[in-house]
Amino acid sequence: MANNIRHDEYETSAAGRLLTVALAGNPNAGKTTLFNALTGARQHVGNYPGVTVETFQGACTHGQIRLNLVDLPGTYSLTAYSPEERVARTFLIQERPDVVIDVIDATNLERNLYLAVQMLELGLPLVLALNMSDLAARRGIAFDLALLQALLGAPIIPTVGKTGEGKAELLDAVSAAGRRAAPPAPLRIAYGEALEAEIAPLQRRLEALGALPDGVPARWLAVKLLEGDADLVARLAHPEIASAAAEAAHRIEALAGDSAEALIADRRYGFISGACQEAVRHTVERRHELSDTIDAVATNRLFGLPIFLGLMYLVFSITFTLGEPPMRWIEAGFDALRGAIGGLWPAHSASLLRSLLINGIIGGVGGVLVFLPNILLLFLAIAILEDSGYMARAAFLMDRIMHKMGLHGKSFMPMLIGFGCSVPAILATRTLESRRDRLTTMLVVPLMSCGARLPIYALIIPAFFPEPWHGPMLWSIYLIGIALAVVCAKLLKSTLLRGETPPFVMELPPYRMPTLRSLSIHLWNRGGAYLRKAGTVILGISILLWAMQQWPGIPAREAEALAGRRAAAQTLVDDAARTHALAQVGGDEAEAALRASLMGRLGRGLEPALRPCGFDWKLSTAMIGALAAKEVFVTQMGIIYALGGDPDEASAPLREKIRADYTPLAGFCVMLFCLISAPCMATIAVTRRESGSWRWALLQLGGLTLLAWVVTAAVFQGGSLLGIGI
Amino acid sequence: MAHAEKLTLSASLEDYLEAIYRIVAEKQVARAKDVGRRLKVGRSSVTGALHALADRQLIHYAPYDLVTLTDRGREVAEGVARRHEVLGDFFVSVLAVDPAEADAAACKLEHAVSENVLSRLLEFIDFVDRCPRGGTHWIQGFKRSCHTDKRPGHCETCLARAVNGVQAKHRKETHMDTNGEKKAGATLADLKPGGKATILTIGGAAGGIRRRLLDMGVTAGTRVEVERVAPLGDPIEVKIKGYHLTLRKEEAARIHVERS
Repeated sequence: MANNIRHDEYETSAAGRLLTVALAGNPNAGKTTLFNALTGARQHVGNYPGVTVETFQGACTHGQIRLNLVDLPGTYSLTAYSPEERVARTFLIQERPDVVIDVIDATNLERNLYLAVQMLELGLPLVLALNMSDLAARRGIAFDLALLQALLGAPIIPTVGKTGEGKAELLDAVSAAGRRAAPPAPLRIAYGEALEAEIAPLQRRLEALGALPDGVPARWLAVKLLEGDADLVARLAHPEIASAAAEAAHRIEALAGDSAEALIADRRYGFISGACQEAVRHTVERRHELSDTIDAVATNRLFGLPIFLGLMYLVFSITFTLGEPPMRWIEAGFDALRGAIGGLWPAHSASLLRSLLINGIIGGVGGVLVFLPNILLLFLAIAILEDSGYMARAAFLMDRIMHKMGLHGKSFMPMLIGFGCSVPAILATRTLESRRDRLTTMLVVPLMSCGARLPIYALIIPAFFPEPWHGPMLWSIYLIGIALAVVCAKLLKSTLLRGETPPFVMELPPYRMPTLRSLSIHLWNRGGAYLRKAGTVILGISILLWAMQQWPGIPAREAEALAGRRAAAQTLVDDAARTHALAQVGGDEAEAALRASLMGRLGRGLEPALRPCGFDWKLSTAMIGALAAKEVFVTQMGIIYALGGDPDEASAPLREKIRADYTPLAGFCVMLFCLISAPCMATIAVTRRESGSWRWALLQLGGLTLLAWVVTAAVFQGGSLLGIGI
Repeated sequence: MAHAEKLTLSASLEDYLEAIYRIVAEKQVARAKDVGRRLKVGRSSVTGALHALADRQLIHYAPYDLVTLTDRGREVAEGVARRHEVLGDFFVSVLAVDPAEADAAACKLEHAVSENVLSRLLEFIDFVDRCPRGGTHWIQGFKRSCHTDKRPGHCETCLARAVNGVQAKHRKETHMDTNGEKKAGATLADLKPGGKATILTIGGAAGGIRRRLLDMGVTAGTRVEVERVAPLGDPIEVKIKGYHLTLRKEEAARIHVERS
């Protein structure tokens, strides 16, 4: 997860010294913005607690010194309570960066300093970036920086991440801190007699051990052991000291009437509020801020939910209505390209290269690229919700419902992103603290109908259903997905992932205006990922699928028979009759070719298993492609049908062909099966990576496919029996 | 006779005895070489000292055998260790001396300080910690004045803080007295939007949710205001330490508060 920094990759000569600098801080303190300002990196920034779920790296130079910056996930503490916090703490303790920049939200100093104080206690070489200092100044907060620096024992530099103000001073302080020979002495907080009496003997015992794991200060470790930090107890691997610490914590609780961890937090916050009382002055009475006014409406008891539902509706209608014209342009562009390339060969040429270019590559990749406008618009809408801070409110509004599903309000965010793409959605589950919640969310996210499935619906719905039904049909598919996700989550939480309901404790950050820069970075990253996918995976699959359909070709005997029929048809005198007979032969030939091909054989092998769902061997064949990436289903259908005649996929002719071959019920079943069945390869791979084991990824693959089969078969059989949609 | 022997115990022998006491406390038994390593002295000095201690019937010792303390030896050693700890604690937590330096000084002083002075010192540490005019905050102030800031000032805020502290403590105690175990007091979940309160304690098991609440600044004595309840009736949004926090009523019910 955390990228390892390897120092040996860089030479560390005196002239161009390389410093590893970690960027730490509370979620939403502006770390990522500052990181971008320092490195010029294109990195997504969100106004949602826990956007940075991986450590990102970037480089910059300052004078003679080169800096390797590592952006850590936002954390409130060094407790290692959530996976992100564990990533950050592990990095700070084990990788020992040369300097740590702690980004502090100047408008929320006390809570932000809690992490800073813990890092100072750990003896990390800290530089504090007092970020959003412009906002603090506007709110009338004045800092006595010299005093605050003396109290904390670390340099403090006011910065404004958005404009890059204070950047040079910050880098000066970082290089000065990096030049220091020895790490600073750990900050010492007086924890009061009851605690100190237990810390001292523990500290002595730890000191007597000699080298502590990762070279942490003995006093810090003693305090952490009293707090009952399970992670560190395990790392210390010294059960005697651990049990002594547990006993000491009990004694403290008996003596002070409150738990050791509560007392320790009290003292730390006490130290901070003491420091703030001396060094911070509010020159203006706190006004009612704009953010509070927005919240009074947006999370209002009466209007909160209607506003939320309206916004969600807006997101989807923008995605589909605004996306329509550019989609048509792209389609027209590919048609023109197809015509231009096709024109290089004589009409009805049987050239393999022509077929590969037109049917394989343009048909496959083009069919997918058409949906780029939709996907970009959906991601843009999600980015605006995220950056403005509304996403946290959505979690606040939806928690009750998510709680009923046995999930957490924060699960809402990954689920919403799931409508765009399952892969970033699964990555976003890292903001969930409980592993059981994370796994449940991860497993059901593919049921949120992703953008890649949209082409399938866009192909099928107009083919089988009259115009007024298009909207409701699409909605019903999405709703079925959501309903199934609810059922599955509930099922998982009451069986495999049973356990205590995780608590919901979350910061509601102030609303902020999303910046154009941040939004464009966001779109660039996500849109770029989609394009890369189209250019690599889908291109490869398109060629592979095309090849699997070309070979091994029609068996000699059948080919002879077809040639005979064609020759016979040629002899017909009547023009109309001849054309008809030739077309029939051509169609039969195409079907024979597909039936004989590798792909057709695979599809036919699957047919008996999928027949209860109403799929013939052609649909079964396309489903194989859909496993690689959902949108390939459309490509696949296009290639299958294009073999017989005019190659024009994802549009009216293809729709007419499938309408001729299948019933509306079968069409609905195709959508249902594509919605529920095994997610694409990329999703499975990312589930494997994020869950840490193949078990969960395979459960996701197998479970969803089984569910898809059961539901689709039930619908098809039920529908056939009742005579609906045949 | 025992009394006479105790008086003749030299500072160096006391050190040996204390070392043995600590080694036994950690490993159950002590070996001569452990003692030597701990005090950084040679093998022969250790053997000599061990003989001297054995002669005074403070330890059981035979060459190449394990060293254990006699009952009386343990009593004497505990006295030395306690004096060391009290002095070390005083230097560190009251005088804000660096721990290593404090330890070295305590090691020297422990042999000279009388029982009476020692108990007064203990009482003083306790007093400083308990007295609202003292406390850790006051000691922090002293520490700061030693290092950097010699100027007076902040006396009013400091005194106001002390008074607040006394009142909060008093409230907390009366709250405990009147409500006891059976009749729980108000919790954050009982507050209506607009309601303000001061946090008293956070219930529930260690780690997990309580840990997170503490990290987020939900600590005893902090003022909290309920802003609103979500449209579906749960969770609630509160304002604490100048920012907005949302939590479920289930969690809020663990937070005991005093309404204000």
